Amino acid sequence: MLDVDHIHKEFGTVRAVRDVHFRIDDGATFGLIGPNGAGKTTTMRMILGILTPDGGTIRWNNARVRYDSRKHFGYLPEERGIYGKMKVRDQISYFGKLHGLRDPGLTTRVNRWIERLGLGIYADRPCAELSKGNQQKVQLACAAVHDPQLLVLDEPFSGLDPVNADIMLAILNELKAQGTTLVLSSHQMWQLEELCTSFCIIAGGENRVQGTLDQLRSAFPTRIVRVAPSNEAVSNVLSAVSGAQQAAPMNGCVDYRMPADTDFASLLRSLVAVAPVTRFEAVEPSLHDIYLRAIGEAA
Amino acid sequence: MIDDLLTVFSAEFMRRIRSRPYIIGLIIGIIGILLFTRLPALVGDAFGGSSSIVVVGSPALTARAIPLLKSDYDVKAELQPQPITEPTLKEYDAAAAFVLTSTKSGLDVNVYAHDPGSMGVRQVRRALMPLQLALTTGKSSSQVKNITNFPVDVKPVASKFSSADQAELVRGIAYTLIFFLYILILVNSQLVTSSVAEEKTSRIAELLVASVDPVALLGGKILAGAVLALVQLCIWIAAATLGGHGSPPPHGSDSDNVFSLANLFDVLTPGVVVAFFIFFLIGFLQVSTIFAAMASLINRTEDLGSVTGPLAIPVVAALFIAIGALGTPDAPWAVVTSFVPIIAPFIMFARIAVSYVPFWQIGLSLLVNLAALYLIAVFAGKIYRVGMLLYGRAPKLSQVWSVIRS
Repeated sequence: MLDVDHIHKEFGTVRAVRDVHFRIDDGATFGLIGPNGAGKTTTMRMILGILTPDGGTIRWNNARVRYDSRKHFGYLPEERGIYGKMKVRDQISYFGKLHGLRDPGLTTRVNRWIERLGLGIYADRPCAELSKGNQQKVQLACAAVHDPQLLVLDEPFSGLDPVNADIMLAILNELKAQGTTLVLSSHQMWQLEELCTSFCIIAGGENRVQGTLDQLRSAFPTRIVRVAPSNEAVSNVLSAVSGAQQAAPMNGCVDYRMPADTDFASLLRSLVAVAPVTRFEAVEPSLHDIYLRAIGEAA
Repeated sequence: MIDDLLTVFSAEFMRRIRSRPYIIGLIIGIIGILLFTRLPALVGDAFGGSSSIVVVGSPALTARAIPLLKSDYDVKAELQPQPITEPTLKEYDAAAAFVLTSTKSGLDVNVYAHDPGSMGVRQVRRALMPLQLALTTGKSSSQVKNITNFPVDVKPVASKFSSADQAELVRGIAYTLIFFLYILILVNSQLVTSSVAEEKTSRIAELLVASVDPVALLGGKILAGAVLALVQLCIWIAAATLGGHGSPPPHGSDSDNVFSLANLFDVLTPGVVVAFFIFFLIGFLQVSTIFAAMASLINRTEDLGSVTGPLAIPVVAALFIAIGALGTPDAPWAVVTSFVPIIAPFIMFARIAVSYVPFWQIGLSLLVNLAALYLIAVFAGKIYRVGMLLYGRAPKLSQVWSVIRS
C-alpha cells in the first residue's frame, strides 16, 4: 500500500506541492489528475524518491521509501529519454540490471517484453533508428521489465498515435490484471476513466477531490437530464425544477443541469404528462465534468 | 548501492570502450607515441641520418680527424678533396660532408649539409678541437686529447640520482609521465562529462535517477572513466616500449632508447610508480567529478565547452607548474602548490619523481587532496542530484551555490 501523507515541496519561492495526500491499495490503478503545473510530476517524483518532500511522509507497505524499496518501483516519466546509440535489447537489459535483475532471469524477461511489444525485428538495432512510438514502447519495457510492484506513469499516452495508444492501454490493463499497482497521470480522461479504480484531482499543489469514480459521482452536486423531444412543453417542466439550469442542447435533445437529489421518477411522470417523451436520461457526471468542477472551471 | 555502482560502472565501461571518441583518442595516442619514438630515426633514415657524415680532405688530415669525429658522428667515408654535391651525399647515404683543410692558423672546416640547422657548430668545433690544438701546438692529437680530457666528476648532494645522466633521464621520463597525466585526466574527464551531458540532454536522466541513487550513478561513471584511462595508459606505455624497442640508438648514446619499459623501471623506483597511479587517481577523480557535476547543469551539448573550458584552466596551469617543478622541486612555490587541490597531483608527482620529498609533505598533500576530493564529491553529488532534473534556463551561479549550501 502506498500512503502519501500531507506532503509539500518548495523550489525556492515556488510552492510546487502544498498539501497532497492519498492512499493507494495494493493492485489498485490510481489516476492522479490535474492541470499543468498542479504538482503531479513533483508528487510522482517524491513517491519515487527522486525528490525529498520538505514536509509530510510517503510510505510504501508501511515503511518509508528507501533505495531498496525503489527497486520494486517502475517509472515512465513524461519527458521520455533513451540512449540513442544503445541497442533495444541492451537498453531494456540495462534497466533490468539497475533494478537488480540478473541472468538467466533477466534475458528471459527482456525477450518476453520485446515479444510482448512487437519489437522483435528491432531488438538488435540502435534505439535512435526506431519510430517515436516504438521508442516509447522501449521506454515502457525499461520501466516494467522487472515486474514492479508499483508502476508510476506520467502522461503515458502523450505523443502516441491511436494504434500505439491502444497497445499502451492493453499493456496497462495486463499489468493491472497481474496485480501491479499503477499510478497514472494523463489528460486523456476517457482512458483514465476506463483504466483507473480511484482518482485524486489536484490543483495549485493541493488535493481537490479523491475517491473511486462512484464516490466522486455521488459527491457531484448536479446531474444532466437529457430529454427528447425538445419542445417548449418539455422545457417548461424542466425549468420549473428548483435549481435547474439549461445546458447546451445535444442531438435534438434538451439538456438541463439539475441538483443531484432531484426526484427523477417524479420528473419523468411530469414530462410524460405534457409530451410524448422518447428519451429521458439522468446522465452521470463524467470524469471530465468532475475534473472541471474540482479545479474550479465549472459549476 | 555498491551493486548499482558496479552495474553503472560495467555498462558505462562497455559503452565507452566501444565508443568512437575513446577509440580514436587511443589510436591517436598510439600513433603519436610511435611517431615520437620512431620519427627521429625515420627522418634520420630519410636523410641518411643527421649524424652520418663523409670526411673530405687530404689523407693525412682526415686520418687524424676521423678518430676524433667517431665519438659524435657516424663516418660513412673518407674522401679525397673534391666538390661536394647532392649526389655525393646520396652516394654515401650521409647527411653532411666535413671538408677539412689545413691553414696557417690551424684547421679550416666547411660543412655541407642537407639540413644545416642539424649540424651544431659547437659540436663540430668541440669534436675537432684536439686536432686544432695539435696543429697549432705541434703536439700529436692523442697527446692533446689526453691533455684536454681532464676529469670532471659531478658529485650529487642530497640528490636522488647517482649521476647527471641518470638525473637527465629521469627528468625526461617524469616529463613524459606528467604529460600523460595531463592528457589522461583532461581527455577522460571530458568523456565523463560528455556521458553526463548525453544523459541530461536525451532526458534519460530522470529514468536513471528513479532507478539508482544519483551518487551511485555519478560514481559508476567516474570509476569507469578512471579504469578506461588506466587501460589507455597501459596501452600507451606498451606502445612506447614497442616503439622504442628496436629503434636505432642515437649515435653515441649509451642507452637503447630514452623511453623504454626497462629504462622506466631502472630509473623510477616502485615508490614513484605507485605515486604516479595514486596521484593520477586523485587528480582524475577531483577533475572529472567537478566536470560531471557542472555538465549536469547544461541543457544542450553545445554548452558543454562553455562549462568545461574555464574548469580546464587550473589543469593546464598545473601542467606548466609541474614542468617547472621538475627543475626546482624544492623551491617554495613548488612545495606550496604541491598541497593545493586539483593542481597538487601533478606537482607533487613531479617533485617525487626528481627529488626526495619529505614523507610529511607527501602525507599532508594526500590528506589535503583526499579531504578535498571528499568535499568535491559531496558538493558535486548535490549539484548532480538537482542538475540532472533541471531543465529550462541555465541556473545562475548564485543558484548553484544555494544548492551546495542546502
